[in-house]
Amino acid sequence: MNGIFFAILGAAIATVLAGIGSAKGVGSAAQTAMGVLSEDSSMFGKMLVLTLLPGTQGLYGFIVGFLILVSSGLLGGSADVTLAQGIAYAGASLAIGFGGLFSGIAQGKAAVSGIAMTAKDEKNFSKGMVSVTLVEIYALLAFIVSLLVVIQIPNMAI
Amino acid sequence: MKTVRIVALRSDRKRLLEHLQDSALVQVRKAEQSHDGFERVDMSRHMQVFERNVNLTEQALRILGSVAPEKGGMLSSFKGRRQVDPDEIGAIAAKSGEVIAVCSRLAELDKKRTDNTTEQTRIATQLVQLEAWQKLDIPLNTTGTRSTAIFVGTFPEQYSEADLQKAIAGENPKLEFALEIEHTEPQMTCAVIFVPVSQKVMAEDALRVLGFARPMGATSKIPKVKAERLREKAQRLKLESEMAEDEIRSYVEKREDIKTTQDYFRIRTDKYNVINNIDHSRHVFVIEGYVPEEDCEKLRALCERVADCVVEFGDADDSAPVKLKNNRFAEPAQGILTMYAAPGKADIDPTPVLAFFFYFFFGMMFSDAGYGILMVIATGLMMKLFKPDKKMRNNLRLFQYCGVSTTLWGLVFGSIFGDAPAALYNMFTGGSVTMDQLLPWPTLDPQKQALPLMIISIAFGLVHILVGMGCKFIVCFRQKDYAGAFFDTGLWMLLLVGFAVLAAGAALSPAVMTVGAVIAVACAVGLILTQGRDKKGIVGKLIGGLASLYDITSYISDLLSYSRLLALGLTTGVMAQVFNMLATMMGTNVIGFVFLIVIFLAGHLINIGLNALGAYVHTMRLQYVEMFSKFYEGGGKEFEPFSLNSKYIKIQED
Repeated sequence: MNGIFFAILGAAIATVLAGIGSAKGVGSAAQTAMGVLSEDSSMFGKMLVLTLLPGTQGLYGFIVGFLILVSSGLLGGSADVTLAQGIAYAGASLAIGFGGLFSGIAQGKAAVSGIAMTAKDEKNFSKGMVSVTLVEIYALLAFIVSLLVVIQIPNMAI
Repeated sequence: MKTVRIVALRSDRKRLLEHLQDSALVQVRKAEQSHDGFERVDMSRHMQVFERNVNLTEQALRILGSVAPEKGGMLSSFKGRRQVDPDEIGAIAAKSGEVIAVCSRLAELDKKRTDNTTEQTRIATQLVQLEAWQKLDIPLNTTGTRSTAIFVGTFPEQYSEADLQKAIAGENPKLEFALEIEHTEPQMTCAVIFVPVSQKVMAEDALRVLGFARPMGATSKIPKVKAERLREKAQRLKLESEMAEDEIRSYVEKREDIKTTQDYFRIRTDKYNVINNIDHSRHVFVIEGYVPEEDCEKLRALCERVADCVVEFGDADDSAPVKLKNNRFAEPAQGILTMYAAPGKADIDPTPVLAFFFYFFFGMMFSDAGYGILMVIATGLMMKLFKPDKKMRNNLRLFQYCGVSTTLWGLVFGSIFGDAPAALYNMFTGGSVTMDQLLPWPTLDPQKQALPLMIISIAFGLVHILVGMGCKFIVCFRQKDYAGAFFDTGLWMLLLVGFAVLAAGAALSPAVMTVGAVIAVACAVGLILTQGRDKKGIVGKLIGGLASLYDITSYISDLLSYSRLLALGLTTGVMAQVFNMLATMMGTNVIGFVFLIVIFLAGHLINIGLNALGAYVHTMRLQYVEMFSKFYEGGGKEFEPFSLNSKYIKIQED
């Protein structure tokens, strides 16, 4: 038995869970932003920035998923994965999967507040934006962990 | 920044103020109270008139926009203001009355349009109500003849003629009546009921129980005639609205005039506001304000040329505004700085440092030669084509410089539209080359060398933080806070360097490691000894010093934060690669080519949008959170000179 199933599972976990986090985050931010835009459509640019901030988790998850597919050889390779390697891919994906899921939702909440603050006074935009990116670091750390492990797996003697 | 006081004759006031406004040299300060023997001149009445005119023109532009939207769309926001010759101002002033009259007329027409619309809706509802009574040939408000009482109205239920007959008879069997059903629909019956006058009260009681109601707004006209009248009226209103709209449209060519007039009144409002805020005696007036140091002589020359006046300068106090002055390289980043806060009185202007790291980090995160070149070309074209104003020009230049940096980093990472050259080569030749085989120089592929790149990212972060702390060192030194400079900042800087040497030694040689360890330990001891110096007693001082070492955690988290340089750089590259892979998937036939072009363009556009935004936001964050927190206080006010503050026209070159 080889580890293809687990490698695919890993790619799916990374992409789906982080994607859910971003989707929820961007979704709630977009709802609020549209409320603001219905009052004052000139703030579209600022609202767009704040709305898109929780979107990076999904990208990170997607990249880890993609790298798993590439490094396991599923895309244009021999797909020669041992069982232990497959399980390792699945394990590596958990970091960005769950990190992305929860940080995406949390960042979405922060973005909602940032949007409300910017709506009150446009000068608050940069402060809001920076505060929202504070959440990002945790998604980033999760991403780096997943990434470093995924890249190492083909070289591991397992 | 200097303070300035200009004393001049009232007879010269108009001329002097106009020249000051043109030159934009002075920020006028509103004095809290008048000096002895001086008083304020109240100009608020004039200002109200001007402001009303500004509002009127704004409204007029909105109305014109609703009828004939301005062309240009998204890109027009890059456009600079229209250049106006100073001599033209007289003509604009002379024409302003006429333009304001046009604006009033526009407002009138617009009001007519909205009124007509409301009226038309009212008529529409009335017509719907009358629809049910089309067959009736007596007026709706008929109450009866001499011998017969007539009830015209509705029941809240659907009855057939027999049902209604039964229902009324059921309420009062003694009642003699005849009825006629005009219209039924679910939950409603329109009917006419005839009873002898003598039974009118009885009938009323019986009908009320059944929920009978006379129609709203009944008139003395026969429904059919009434409906006809209403239709005629609606038609007339529609025509009127159309005529009003045509007339509005006929004023579209006045749009530029209206804009110019709006600016004219805006400028006058500013001028009168200044007059409102300065002291007057019977013959002289006093302007107090701030002027940048380098402009002092220019201001003196200007004032003495246009008026008999005394100009004196003084040293600025703490509440003076700041004017940022930077060279071509750093100036675009001023916008990023002021978005955070203008420098306070103790701050040094960090724009040059900010500018360098902004370009550098943006490039590293966006890191694609193709995208970078696109940025440079696009911003260059916009600057050429739209002749944008200074602020927009600086923003464009910011992205142009970022584009240069992006291109350089893209070459380092071996990324040109991702791996497009390799992907296309492979698609057409069926080969399997990679980018590092194609490019003649050694590249650093973030995908394969993530770990080294992460270390490089954090090393850049260390440099960034150290530069920030260096600024703090300079600030403290300038304020003669030597303890702050050497102990609070210097020791930490050295400690960080020590750790860096230690880490480098781990990779290089044990000897280097020892050096690093010695530096770090020495600095740590130094910090323990100095950081508690405000506390009382030896024990308190030592505990304070020890506790301060805990700050190391914040430095570590700051440094880790720079791993986003790797993460975002990688994101751009991988996304681009994914799109290239999708685009070249369909093979080398006709469908394949179409597919290639569509996916390639759409994919890379999406990638540019998402990742340029990410790079911008995260670069900003690194500056604001990681670097500015080390030294920047902010809290200053920007220099906002008394100037020709206009929206559409530009009178002097800036």
